[in-house]
Amino acid sequence: MSVSSVVRYTLGFKTFGRAFLKIQKFSDMYKMARLKPQPDDPLNPPLKSSVLLKEIMSVHYLEGRYVEGVKKVAWVSSGAPVEPLRALGYFVVYPENHAALCGARRVAVEICEEAEREGFSMDLCSYARTDIGSAISGKTPVGKIPKPDLLVVCTNICQTILYWFKNLSYYFKVPLAVIDTPFIFDDMEEHQIEYVKRQIEEMIITAEKVAGKSISFKKLRKVISLSKEAAELWLEIIYRGRFKPSPITAFDTFVHMAPIVGLRGEEITVIYYRKLLKEIDERIKNGIGAIKNEKKRILWDNLPVWFRLNWLSRYLASRGANIVTSTYTLQWGELAPMIDIERPLESAAKIYLYPLLNRSVRYKLATMKKMVKEFDIDGVLLHSDRSCKPYSLGQIDERNLLVKEGIPAVLIDADHNDMRAYSEEQVKNRLDAFLEIL
Amino acid sequence: MKELRKKTIEKQKEKGKKIAAVFPIHYPRELLRAFGYHPVEVWGPPGVEREEGFKHFQPYTCDIVMRGFSFILKRKEVDLILVPHTCDSLQGMASVTKDFVNPPVPVLTLYHPRGRKKEDVEFLEKEIKRLFEKLCEITGKNPGKEELMNSITREEKADAVFGELYEIRDDLNLTDREFYEFLRTREFLPPEEFISMAKSLPEGKRRGEGKKIIISGILPEPMEIFDLINKKGGIVIDDDLACCGRRIYQSGKSEEPFRRMAERILSAPPDPTLGSRLEERIEYLLKKMEKRKADGILIYNPKFCEPELFDFPFIKKELTNRKIKVQFIETEILRDISHQTIQRIDTFLEVL
Repeated sequence: MSVSSVVRYTLGFKTFGRAFLKIQKFSDMYKMARLKPQPDDPLNPPLKSSVLLKEIMSVHYLEGRYVEGVKKVAWVSSGAPVEPLRALGYFVVYPENHAALCGARRVAVEICEEAEREGFSMDLCSYARTDIGSAISGKTPVGKIPKPDLLVVCTNICQTILYWFKNLSYYFKVPLAVIDTPFIFDDMEEHQIEYVKRQIEEMIITAEKVAGKSISFKKLRKVISLSKEAAELWLEIIYRGRFKPSPITAFDTFVHMAPIVGLRGEEITVIYYRKLLKEIDERIKNGIGAIKNEKKRILWDNLPVWFRLNWLSRYLASRGANIVTSTYTLQWGELAPMIDIERPLESAAKIYLYPLLNRSVRYKLATMKKMVKEFDIDGVLLHSDRSCKPYSLGQIDERNLLVKEGIPAVLIDADHNDMRAYSEEQVKNRLDAFLEIL
Repeated sequence: MKELRKKTIEKQKEKGKKIAAVFPIHYPRELLRAFGYHPVEVWGPPGVEREEGFKHFQPYTCDIVMRGFSFILKRKEVDLILVPHTCDSLQGMASVTKDFVNPPVPVLTLYHPRGRKKEDVEFLEKEIKRLFEKLCEITGKNPGKEELMNSITREEKADAVFGELYEIRDDLNLTDREFYEFLRTREFLPPEEFISMAKSLPEGKRRGEGKKIIISGILPEPMEIFDLINKKGGIVIDDDLACCGRRIYQSGKSEEPFRRMAERILSAPPDPTLGSRLEERIEYLLKKMEKRKADGILIYNPKFCEPELFDFPFIKKELTNRKIKVQFIETEILRDISHQTIQRIDTFLEVL
């Protein structure tokens, strides 16, 4: 830890930066309070908690600008066990979160091109291209992403993430801890749990070495209990979509999921989701839906199309269609009951083996059918995401089987980050046809 | 090769063996054989229509899955399908086949680890044991330790011969295509037949001369690619192909059969689908280049192959920094070589 880094961190982040963000928050709150419902807007005014969300995420990225040399930095994949890293005091960066932010801000293509110039094919995941492009060029909408001291990757979302992190490890010349989670075709087996547990233990040893200190299990338990509480709150929030009219849309959850992915195990995440849940419950109490005229309720499958989130949300709402929930956002909550604070490593091994993306297409279809029932869904919209093969392969059969069971379902071709692999006219046509048959 | 493959399957069927169709890349052949299965590998045969594949998978799925899946569903001689967990696409294909397509034969999977540490070997050992138990359930057989060790020894002998062929390549009177067609008979021949045929390969000076190149990637299809390279003034001096050189296994050490099978698979040369780091792959390729005094490297891959596409940029950068010429060609698994491939190989060899 150098003196100059600490001074920069204290002044830039803790003093002036945070003060600036506080002022910005008040200004946003003021704007939000003055926001009048627009008669021609198919959406009701946004959730007020969005102001706090913006502040939390801005604080996180602002800290990232000044954190190098003050805290150890770990870059972590979204499905990796982050809790030991938090207990060791790491500043944690989620490249996937950052890539999604680039997508939403519509700068992903420009950054992807940086990676493509280095030889990364356009057929590769656009998150990976965004992130690698950002690492190579330094381009980012958040000012600066701190360089990693350690990389932690878990294959429970895809193998792509491993190839991507191998590249990062090679580029930054830093250690890469791999947690390889065998794909669950049938049921989870003892040797698979044991294997993942041993790798988590190994990852902790590597993380301790890099951090230069030993983990405190008391701290780890505290972090895990915060993770558990946040995941439980998140699940509650997702389940509020069952109400009619639904107080939230899946588009809301795509945005509000940032803390559960990127700040899991932090106290602020729990505080935030408590507040968000309270606001949603207020909406339910007052009969306020997220869209003004909810006629049809839809389930979304796969990642969002970040760069057209707003358009999709309004376009569907204007036709009375509310995407009330998604298989994607459910993943960060559905396993909350499995978190066991007293047996942290073993329960972590099970949880990190079990997300939807690490399980068979049969399980995914069963999850969709369950959600159709629980959320009283009228139809399923499956986003065939060119960038995400593990999520997308199987969707053709899933759609056919849903339709066979009398659940209307449609596939739309897009990409989560790359606008060049997206045709709005084609998507619009399919959506129109789908809404007509609902 | 196609004819020999067909005849081998017929012959094995006549002998009462069952046919196991196996997808790429790494798996314990010896385990299947111990249960009376004859493994025949499916690398998306060239020219097979992708029709069935399109009914289940998006167009951005690789040809090995598209064609292999379409091919397998039409084959009546298949008694079992084994899909090793090589990549996301094969994972999706295996899951769709098991859960939605429900073919009339069992579909088994094998997860191999993405590392080679002690815990990885131990995990793979247990995973192979899990596969063993599934095979016991399916066949009603329960091969003992001795039977398994016999089967292992047979495969290890063939592995050793497979590796030796690379070392005596220059003393075999074969063209590159003939040599690689023979190597790839390992995908369907019983080990003894492979060994016996290897011994009868014509000795003499290698046929063809020119610029020495190493070919890297998944598979060299169509095999005419070797003729093209020779015609344009090049020879394939060695390879880093998933179907060939990346499967030069070393014999396991353990006397426990499942452990030994795991050791064998994890002894394979660096391979992105086994989680090898870029540093390992670069070092391996550099050593190969030096040993064979190669003039350049041709990276030849089926489209949409993520494990290969991700490794390519930094491998190319490191090799280029050392003044090694690298040519990347992306292709579909077709019967004929595309015009674009012809042009690229032509230019590459001219530059060399």
